[in-house]
Amino acid sequence: MAISDDMMIDLDDVHLTLPSEAGPVDILRGVGLSVPRGETVGLVGPSGSGKSTLMAVMAGLERPSAGRVQVAGQILQDMDEDALARFRRDHVGIVFQSFHLIPTMTALENVAMPLEFSGVRDAFAGAEAALGEVGLELRLRHYPSQLSGGEQQRVALARAVVRRPSLLLADEPTGNLDGATGGSIIDLMFRLHQAANSTLILITHDPALAARCDRIVQMRDGRLDAAPPLAAD
Amino acid sequence: MPGRLAFTIARRELRGGLRGFRIFLLCVALGVGAISGVGSLADALVDGLRRDGRLLIGGDVELRLTHQPADAAQLAYLQAAGQVSLAIEMRSMARRLDGHHRGLIELKGVDQQYPLYGRMQLDQGQDLAAALAPRDGVPGAVAEAVLLQRLKLQIGDRVKVGAATYRIAAAIRREPDRGADAFVLGPRLMVAKVSLKATALIREGSQVKYRYRVALPPGRDVAAWIEELKLEFPDAGWRVRDVRNGVPGLKRFIDRMRLFLTLVGLTALLVGGLGIGNAVRSFLEGKTGTIATLKCLGAPSRLIFQVYLLLVLSLTALGVLVGMLAGAGMPLLLSGLLAGLLPFQVSFDLHPLPLFLAASYGFLTALAFAIWPLARAQSVPAGALFRDLAAPMTARPSWRYIALAVLAFAALAGLAILTAEEQRFAIWFVCGAAVAMAAFLAAGLGIIELARQLPRPRSGRWGAVLALALTNLHRPGAPTIPVVQSFGLGLSVLVAVIGVEGNMNLQVTERLPEKAPAFFFIDILPDQATPFEALALSIAGVEEIERVPALRGRIVKINGQDAAKVSVAPEVAWAVRGDRGLTYAALPPPDAQIVAGKWWPANYAGPPLISLDAAIAQGINIGVGDRLTLNVLGREIEATIANLRRIDWSTLGINFVILFAPGALEGAPQTFIATAKTTPAAELPLQMAVTDTFPNITAIRIREALEAVNGTLRNIGIAVRSIAAVALVAGGLVLAGAVAANHRRRVYDTVVLKVLGATRRRILATYFLEYSILGLITAVLAAGVGTAAAYAVVAQIMGMPWYWLPNGVLITTAICLIVTVGAGMLGTWLAMSQKPAPLLRNE
Repeated sequence: MAISDDMMIDLDDVHLTLPSEAGPVDILRGVGLSVPRGETVGLVGPSGSGKSTLMAVMAGLERPSAGRVQVAGQILQDMDEDALARFRRDHVGIVFQSFHLIPTMTALENVAMPLEFSGVRDAFAGAEAALGEVGLELRLRHYPSQLSGGEQQRVALARAVVRRPSLLLADEPTGNLDGATGGSIIDLMFRLHQAANSTLILITHDPALAARCDRIVQMRDGRLDAAPPLAAD
Repeated sequence: MPGRLAFTIARRELRGGLRGFRIFLLCVALGVGAISGVGSLADALVDGLRRDGRLLIGGDVELRLTHQPADAAQLAYLQAAGQVSLAIEMRSMARRLDGHHRGLIELKGVDQQYPLYGRMQLDQGQDLAAALAPRDGVPGAVAEAVLLQRLKLQIGDRVKVGAATYRIAAAIRREPDRGADAFVLGPRLMVAKVSLKATALIREGSQVKYRYRVALPPGRDVAAWIEELKLEFPDAGWRVRDVRNGVPGLKRFIDRMRLFLTLVGLTALLVGGLGIGNAVRSFLEGKTGTIATLKCLGAPSRLIFQVYLLLVLSLTALGVLVGMLAGAGMPLLLSGLLAGLLPFQVSFDLHPLPLFLAASYGFLTALAFAIWPLARAQSVPAGALFRDLAAPMTARPSWRYIALAVLAFAALAGLAILTAEEQRFAIWFVCGAAVAMAAFLAAGLGIIELARQLPRPRSGRWGAVLALALTNLHRPGAPTIPVVQSFGLGLSVLVAVIGVEGNMNLQVTERLPEKAPAFFFIDILPDQATPFEALALSIAGVEEIERVPALRGRIVKINGQDAAKVSVAPEVAWAVRGDRGLTYAALPPPDAQIVAGKWWPANYAGPPLISLDAAIAQGINIGVGDRLTLNVLGREIEATIANLRRIDWSTLGINFVILFAPGALEGAPQTFIATAKTTPAAELPLQMAVTDTFPNITAIRIREALEAVNGTLRNIGIAVRSIAAVALVAGGLVLAGAVAANHRRRVYDTVVLKVLGATRRRILATYFLEYSILGLITAVLAAGVGTAAAYAVVAQIMGMPWYWLPNGVLITTAICLIVTVGAGMLGTWLAMSQKPAPLLRNE
């Protein structure tokens, strides 16, 4: 099936079943989704509905049991573990709820990592610029433990966008932050997304936040609901 | 090869500090320290031995003859080659003039040239020649301090040796060539050679050794000179030693101890290897988030493996360095202790080879045990960031990494075998270690499976306790396998060492009193034989006298072929190397066990026949009907082997490897030796009566001789136990690590159980049951594995009879079990002191 170059994400009948001690669990049950380049999508739904797993599939972190996953023009389910790592390095930036900074590295080193993986010569200069964009130019040599939650999430954001990825995935990026800090992080994220003209997929439980996206997609029981809801649970 | 990026990330990861790696570092340092210490010490000893070789043998070359001195032609040849010194040695008795005290001595008569190398040191710094010179017609003697103590003698006192009287002129501080003889039964008494005639001890057939020491001119090739000497006097029958093989027994002993202790050290390292593996696994489990994050950011799996491999290797390097420093310092540390025990100076140079070897062992062990968890870690899916990060890593590594781990273990085994002096021993060890590790792994898996399969106990007060204890054994992340392996291996080593030591002690001491005679009497002249026996039996308490003729002879031909050219198994080479004791008898010895051929008729009168020790016959590969030619005091006698006997040397009775049928030896000059079985009370009267009546007869008290052997064994025991203790400490560390790694989980479990209403008694009972099940199964298995290892060492490698010593095994196992369960319970008690609320708030 021919896919338009304008399409960033194209999922077709994606299934994911994971084994467990109690027997196999169907987490995704035939998800189909197309997201054009530059669009922002709010992914909402109750806990356990499969949002994070769907995001992991888009990032090439989880391999579907069946169906087709095409992201940034590449078919992910045929790629091996290392090819997927390279794909993420070149195309995807991820922001997690719990930041996932590497505790033994400074803010600068954390942000420089994706550039170093790409073999960029001036990794630290690029990282410093990215940290400047999120307002942390004075916190370059600080370790994650020396930063506040909001600052840590800014570092994570800088790390996610430093390579100017075409796809930005955010899994409840404000879930561990207070309201004011969360708001500033979201503003920052949307600004960076616009500047880079990337596609943004945002998982959230906050209806107001979801409403800032171009489109809202509702998940329930491993499937996408046909009609976009007005409010998440 | 890891790239620059791997180094960069590893360096950043090192900032996390050594937390979680303390046990890792201790395990590496302990194992490497033990191995490099043993190696350095052995090298220091061998170096010292080589450096002092000329002192120890008293010349560049020593020629030893028994019974008779060199003839004029031989002496002239030696004197033409260089400076010659003759020392005459024999065992004898020294008696106080008042007859109150007497004791066995190693008598040595020296000439004016003695010592050719080194210096004889006397207590007050006197000159030896002056000390030995006669004063008022009484020749001088110098004695070891212990003789003066035993006989309660002062400097200036007189002492009788044989028929002669000596004046004690000084105490010996250091005799340069004292270490040359491994088998020393009494203290030294040194006199001038010319004075020996007056003792009347040197008679035909008596056990006298003539040691000719030759100092060759500088630059003379010693080996070449020895070859010329052998060509010149092919039948001289002297035993030749030079600096290269100066003290072969001691060198062999050091090599053997080095191997044994290195292998025990390697066991410590292997036990520590479990700790290394556990530490790496537990560290990497804490790193799941970091690994998944790195992968999310685009790091390939190989990079992850390289990063953490570099981390493990740099920490190993630190542990290895600490271990090497400790090992290199070992000779210096023990110098004070060894100074009094050794006949030579220990060298304190740095010995790079054993250090390098120990470092190799350290790195290979770390690699072998770390590859598995490292390979698992690199397969942590990046998607773990979206799931439970605390889940234990359970993926099976790819075949590539399994092959790598197998290769590292094979390299470890290869290194142990290839660097061993006795490879057979090392192969046994490697197989044993592999079987033991596999057995404990299987036991751990078995316990987990059994706990899983057992039907859930019926509910009720204690049913719930048992159910929980069983669940604790098999739940994911339970420390069952590391605990079984570390406790099991550590305890096995201890049981094995105790088993080996117990058997060795048993050989020389505990089994003796009922069987062994009280005395050996040597140098009984033929005309003294009957009066000696009559005298001995007249003393109350003397129960039995056994007396046989004794001669010495050397095997020169085997089936007509030069004995030196016949290939002989190394363990029986001693029998064809030099003079052996010979005897003859019409009837078989009382305990003789004939295993091949037939004993000769009591009235046999025909061509010479011999009865040979079966083990020796097997080593030379000869049997009944084969011929041996013996040189007995210059006369060659060819005899046919009539039968083979199995000899039990442990009875300490009179036993001869070669026993002649009547007819061949009666005419040769000979003496008699005898054993006496007595009640303890009769020992002293017997010794006094015999040595007073026959001053030339030497009485060797078995108990005292064994004390000397026991002293050596005690020192060996200390060395073995010290290194075994390292293995046990390593085991303890690994166990502590496994328990500590589980502590957080246990605190949480305990808190939840308390919240649900469990009393402290019930919680304690649960854990007690868990540890007891685990400990008991492991202890029983370890007792079995350790006993099997001890059996292999004693029976297969040392070739000694094996005795199972259940008491030692039971006591050791019980103590270890109590300590382990106790430590676990202490941890539980500490866990229980946690207040539930704060912990639950943080969860």
